[in-house]
Amino acid sequence: MSLTTILLQQTINGLSLGAMYALLALGFTLVYGILELINFSHFNVFMFGSFIGMFVLQALGVQGQATVLHGLPLVGALVLALVTVMLACGTLGVVIERLALRPLRNVKGPAAMITTIGVSYIIYNVVLLAFGAESKNYPNPMPPVAVDVGGATLRLREVLIWVIALVLMVALWVFVQRSRMGKAMRATAQDAEAARMMGVEVDRVIVAAFFIGSALAGAGALIFGIYYNFTNYNIGFIAGLRAFTAAVLGGIGNVPGAMVGGVLIGLIEAIVSGGLLEVVVGPFASAAWADVWIFSILVLVLVFRPAGLFGRMAPTKS
Amino acid sequence: MLITRRAAGKLAGTAAALALLRAEGARAADQVVKVGINLPFTGADAEDAIRIFDGAVLAFDEANETHAVPGITFQYDKYDDGTATAGQYDPAQAATNARKMVSDPATIAAIGPEMSGSGKAMAPILSQGDLATVTPSSTNPDITNPKFAAQYMPAGKAIYFRTVTTDAFQGPNMANYVAETLKAKSVYVLDDSGAYGVGIADSFQGQAEKKGVKILGRDRLDPKAADYSAVLTKIKALAPEALYYGGVMQAGVKVVKQSYDILPGIIKAGGDGVYSNEMLTAVGFPAAEGWYASIASPHLTADPAAKAFMAAYQKKFGFAGTDYAITAYAGAQVIIAAVKGLKAAGKPIDRHTVRDAIQALHTQTLLGPTSFDQYGDLTDKTVSIFQFKQDAKGKPDDLIDQTVYIGVAPSA
Amino acid sequence: MNEAAAAAVSVLRRPLARVPAAWRYRGFVVLLAAAALAFPTINGNDADIDSVANAATYAILALGLNIVVGFAGLLDLGYAAFFAIGAYAYGILTSYQVMPPWSGFWEPFAWLGLVQQFPAETGTGFVVHFTVSFWLMLPVSALLAAFFGVLFGAPTLRLRGDYLAIVTLGFGEIVPIVVRNVSSVTNGAAGLNGIAAPRIAGHSFGVDAEPYYYVGMALVALLIFVSIRLRDSRIGRAWMAVREDEIAAGAMGVDRTRTKLLAFAMGAAFAGMAGVVFVAKLQTATPEMFGFPVSVMILVMIVFGGMGSVWGVVVGAFFLQLLQSWWLADLSGWIDAFGRAIGSDMIAHVDLVQSIELIFGLILVTMMLYRREGLIPAVRRPPALTYEQQHAEVRRGFSDLRLSGLGGDVETGQTLLEVRGVTVRFGGLVALKSVDIDVPHGGVIAVIGPNGSGKSTLFNAITGLVPADEGSIRFDGVEILGLQPHKILERGVARTFQNIRLFPNLTVLENVLVGQHARLRTGPLRAVVRPPSTRREEAEAREWAAEILSIFGNRLLPRVDQAASGLSYANRRRAEIARALASRPKILLLDEPTAGMNPAETIELAEQIRSLHTLGVTILLIEHKLDVVTRLAERVYVLDHGEIIAQGRPDEVRRDEEVLRAYLGRNAQAGAAAIV
Repeated sequence: MSLTTILLQQTINGLSLGAMYALLALGFTLVYGILELINFSHFNVFMFGSFIGMFVLQALGVQGQATVLHGLPLVGALVLALVTVMLACGTLGVVIERLALRPLRNVKGPAAMITTIGVSYIIYNVVLLAFGAESKNYPNPMPPVAVDVGGATLRLREVLIWVIALVLMVALWVFVQRSRMGKAMRATAQDAEAARMMGVEVDRVIVAAFFIGSALAGAGALIFGIYYNFTNYNIGFIAGLRAFTAAVLGGIGNVPGAMVGGVLIGLIEAIVSGGLLEVVVGPFASAAWADVWIFSILVLVLVFRPAGLFGRMAPTKS
Repeated sequence: MLITRRAAGKLAGTAAALALLRAEGARAADQVVKVGINLPFTGADAEDAIRIFDGAVLAFDEANETHAVPGITFQYDKYDDGTATAGQYDPAQAATNARKMVSDPATIAAIGPEMSGSGKAMAPILSQGDLATVTPSSTNPDITNPKFAAQYMPAGKAIYFRTVTTDAFQGPNMANYVAETLKAKSVYVLDDSGAYGVGIADSFQGQAEKKGVKILGRDRLDPKAADYSAVLTKIKALAPEALYYGGVMQAGVKVVKQSYDILPGIIKAGGDGVYSNEMLTAVGFPAAEGWYASIASPHLTADPAAKAFMAAYQKKFGFAGTDYAITAYAGAQVIIAAVKGLKAAGKPIDRHTVRDAIQALHTQTLLGPTSFDQYGDLTDKTVSIFQFKQDAKGKPDDLIDQTVYIGVAPSA
Repeated sequence: MNEAAAAAVSVLRRPLARVPAAWRYRGFVVLLAAAALAFPTINGNDADIDSVANAATYAILALGLNIVVGFAGLLDLGYAAFFAIGAYAYGILTSYQVMPPWSGFWEPFAWLGLVQQFPAETGTGFVVHFTVSFWLMLPVSALLAAFFGVLFGAPTLRLRGDYLAIVTLGFGEIVPIVVRNVSSVTNGAAGLNGIAAPRIAGHSFGVDAEPYYYVGMALVALLIFVSIRLRDSRIGRAWMAVREDEIAAGAMGVDRTRTKLLAFAMGAAFAGMAGVVFVAKLQTATPEMFGFPVSVMILVMIVFGGMGSVWGVVVGAFFLQLLQSWWLADLSGWIDAFGRAIGSDMIAHVDLVQSIELIFGLILVTMMLYRREGLIPAVRRPPALTYEQQHAEVRRGFSDLRLSGLGGDVETGQTLLEVRGVTVRFGGLVALKSVDIDVPHGGVIAVIGPNGSGKSTLFNAITGLVPADEGSIRFDGVEILGLQPHKILERGVARTFQNIRLFPNLTVLENVLVGQHARLRTGPLRAVVRPPSTRREEAEAREWAAEILSIFGNRLLPRVDQAASGLSYANRRRAEIARALASRPKILLLDEPTAGMNPAETIELAEQIRSLHTLGVTILLIEHKLDVVTRLAERVYVLDHGEIIAQGRPDEVRRDEEVLRAYLGRNAQAGAAAIV
């Protein structure tokens, strides 16, 4: 394989990873922008979503990768699964906000963040205890169609991921910029007190942010399942940390920033894991060190440029 | 206060358990000997642990029912060395369990652990307590290596007996197979950064090199990461003839699935971590098709001698036995045989005599003639190789149906 | 309980009630120590002793994290990294893992017993085998971990709480990965084996749990002692001040960076020691033993026990560990037996130990929602004021009191504070524009102006809370522009805040003691050892605090042990002034001190300020109430939109047209002119 082919393939890999991280990062950054709260449970809502997607597809009769659908049934199955997963995750997000976070809204200090760690643990362990530790084969109705692009392989599922992610991101962007609720969200993110005085129901805005953010995570989870053909109780943690880095890199609280950050982190991960930098940096740039690289980016951004690439949507509360 | 309440509670609980469990089968004058079974029932290896446990339990229950050793009733205590915090086996918990077993005077032998990481933590304690354990699946060679005797056998006598052979043979023998039989000239090696995976990948790699197979590279995978496509793409660019994966299924599921897409058509092999039900339940076909897997014991599930075992196992537990269930059964047989010998010779039955008896044992188990060398290793160094081949007529979740036994791996 | 029993209990209680609280506390501690010593003898089961010894390790970790999170308020989610560092340091230096070739360089170490000469495995020659003693490694690992604490902390501790949490989580993940990958030194994933057990008087601890139990418990006792000593010292107060209100802490003379680093390093040191003990007992170390779940487990322990409460976190740690080791297993056994008895297969296979992580999650959520202070809260509720105290007739301070050491030498006529051309910009907004102010020694100067004119920004610029873009600020002849707030306090500039920034969960006394932070000298070492010099210093500090508080008569003195958040509004203002005075400032910057007070309180406070002035304290005052300004100030500056528009004597300024326009607007100006 020539270098260009390798680069092309790794780029394809990186973009798919990036799309997933971007969806996850978006949900995360929406909540942070408004509440200035790091929601640790977000990543396990994602994991929960992938299980829901698995059950929906199994209920539709899809078994592993053996059941392949085409045309309308394929689209129908995927749409049904997507909608169900997004609703389920959105609901879970709202429940979490209502029960665990609203009572702590005015409490200073790390109480709210610690609570999200607790919620995260609860979701994680309930799934583990209920469904066991082994990986599950994911029902995937997609036909294994692939296209050769300059020596690299482009699969149907990659295209699908990009399309779904793009559609959702554009929809979110339009929503945030144009709709009333979107405007209310932006206002609340800038100054909750002022927004309240202008008649914005801040509580409803927060619920909406949680719902949308969690629903996006759910979409990301379904994509994860049909892309990797597996799921287990552990998928939240690493994907979550990557997505968090993406959100921070793009500028936490900044919606387009999260999208860009996601893609960047995906590409970086592909390059490092693919050993493309090993020539330059030696064995420290291999897959084994990928996590260290990602975390180092996180630390460096937070220490030297906490506003990320695109700055925050709102100034920091002191 | 707290202590006496707890002791009282424990006493009550044990009494109740004993009363309920042992209501049938115990004759009035029977001596009860206890065996501790230490396996990771919590976490990633739970499924395999249950199958191993059932294998041993089958042997002990059969011995009790048929009064195999007259006047002796076998009782087994279940110890879990997996913790939720570790998400798998936990060496600290294994050490704690070892202490519990050693400090219980009625425990005369042990079965387990499943994973070598636990074994390393347990061995010094068991050695000091002179309590023998028979492990059906721990394959890391260090624990019975005389070089490390000071660490793992501080009291000088072997206590870590295995009814499997070690990775010192499993990895290299598979390398021999890949080099000689499959005639691959280049290979890329992956491991899952775990203790077992790194060890077996190292031993495979070393032998492959000696056999003249070109090692195109070696990479370490993060078992929690979901995407190995970047690494696999890099490997694809190097065009190896074979891929070897040392590790367990946590990373294995993703390796197998993704290498199906990215590295079709090359030889793919793994160790006994790959010979797992998860290849069928989590990976499935066509991705798993063609993968070679080794196990550190002879293949017996199709053996007519093991037929009775397989039938009884299926009947009692509802799923088919695996090769490591057989080695667990054999391990229990070893203990039973040792106790039987002592009883027949009129010697007292305690952990010291049991250990000595196991050491000197020459007995027939489900594995065939079984005996141990002076360090506790099984004298039989057979490594078996399987290949995953889909059998549409067989049960889709059955390892025996969906794999084909290739044969014994060539030793060096 | 029937009457006889109730009577018996009350009889028993009576002698106990007569014993003062301090002695009851000590008696309890002695009882606990005796029980801990006797435990292995009473319960001979090695496994039980082992469980408690393990729990002791986690208690040490909980104590360490308590310093970082509980005392200093720094949320560290990667605490297990230091645990790993201490563990692997000990492991590498006591096992056969690292064996460099022998050379003359190692001779003195061999003589000291730190290394041994070993024959090389392959070929000829000798290699070095490290045999460092456990007892030596305890402090060495502590120092090494502390070093890494400083290394990680230096660039990151200035981050906000939640960002800091994520960064520390990152470190917590990076350390095990590094350990796993650098296999030549750490044996990677296979883990370090053959780690030597501790030796005492030539005997190895071996695999018996008892000696580890005693060492662990002794270490826990020692670290409880150290934690309590630190908590009740100048250092502890500084940590808690930083936790409560970082800005105010800096303004009161606390060097925030050093204070936070000290907390981080201290916590890391505890974890390093815990690592040594843990791995010496296990004699093996693998990277998986130090992952994120371990960091969270310790967090759960301190949340459960009580963040900031020394005894609380120890109880929390022991409880949760024994829950895992003993009680859940027992409970599962009974449930299983019950299930078997009633023939239910599902109940017969319940294993509660597996759900320990779920329990941790539930503990975190329920604790945060319903009992944030934990099982044993850190803040002790003081006894309620007596009826007499609550209804005491208000006595104002003694205006003729001679407070020693305030103000310093007054050089009348000289300028104490000189502000020249100070300009402050916030992005596009110019908050202060070329402001010039002179405050003479012993003077009372007021700054007035409409809302948003930049008065507080001026104070913030002077005290270093906000950087000035242009200009110069000279205090007592020295340029202070660009200095850190605590350095400015050290030079004698103290302030209060417009919206009162007391440390809410600290008592009034503690607040005032923090005010003295820059004037006291006790560091962490002396805080723990408490030599006579430190005892004297603390006693003098308390005396000085009492003197300051007595300025306000009997308003604050009866309430010294009340949490600052519980005081009335006016009392909180007074407490804040007292805190500022505690630092013996040469100049006191008061930001709207009488805001929110009724006329009577206003007059009272104005008098107290005047009496301070007569004691030699220079005062720069922001005020809205013009009568207070007229009463107190000899000179007034008027700020509007960041510029000085007028200055002079109060009566002059009152009539100034610009001032009127600024305050009242153009149209009203004419009308106002008629009134004035």
